[in-house]
Amino acid sequence: MAYVIAAYGVVLAAVVAYGLGLAWERRRLGAAGRRIQNPG
Amino acid sequence: MRHEAAPSAAVRWRRPTLLVALALALAWGAAVLRAPEDSVQGVIQKILYVHVPCAFAAYAGFGVTAIGGALYLWRGDERWDRLGHAAAEVGVLFCTLVIVTGPIWAKGTWGRWWSWDPRLTVTLLLWFVYLAYLLIRGFTEGSERGARFAAVYGIAGLAAVPLNYFAIDLFGGRAIHPENLQRGSLGAGMGLPFALGIAAGLATFVHLVVRRVEIEELRAAASAEELERSAAEGAGEGPPWRM
Repeated sequence: MAYVIAAYGVVLAAVVAYGLGLAWERRRLGAAGRRIQNPG
Repeated sequence: MRHEAAPSAAVRWRRPTLLVALALALAWGAAVLRAPEDSVQGVIQKILYVHVPCAFAAYAGFGVTAIGGALYLWRGDERWDRLGHAAAEVGVLFCTLVIVTGPIWAKGTWGRWWSWDPRLTVTLLLWFVYLAYLLIRGFTEGSERGARFAAVYGIAGLAAVPLNYFAIDLFGGRAIHPENLQRGSLGAGMGLPFALGIAAGLATFVHLVVRRVEIEELRAAASAEELERSAAEGAGEGPPWRM
């Protein structure tokens, strides 16, 4: 059962980490876009 | 008349993310809790329900990369290029998961993490092919020539997908990896969890690609705005010899 938990755990961790990375990048680019539009 | 502000990205993505999480929970719940144990391999065979969907998602990613690349070359629309790039990245993520979950399964059944079996070797080759695609994109970021080269590379790289899928048939008796699943080759009660796993894996793939495309669009918009701004600043300043 440990192998099964490890396999599912790795997939879950990778998908969640990638999704969070995309959300973080989206947020960073949104903030950068606002800075470009309103430099002051 | 009242105008409501557009919802933020976090709010917009909340429902699709929850739906994908629910699909994964349902599929994995059916696989781990409801699917019968394999009479030969025992409980470890349940890795099938996550390993194969990851492989299908990787194939889908590389297929979409080739389609996006072909449409970009044909129509010249950057949106297709962004789709191809996004799909390649998500495809590599799933291909990595195939390479990680496979050895976990192999250790439990074959007693070793890795074997230079045709299917495993060609999967590693497939991974390298698309890792190289991402490196090309990284090195030629924002370049039209780089995008065209990547599109051609993405189309040519697709040849590795059927090679991977048919590796066992092509290399015959030297394979220790199980053969491709055929209709009826799964035991009783295993078909539904398997189908749910495939559906949830593909839903996750689509969700991540759509989100990744949005990032590429934001990057393109940011660099266009930056260019426009520096061009406007440059026009205001004038050449250095003008007083």
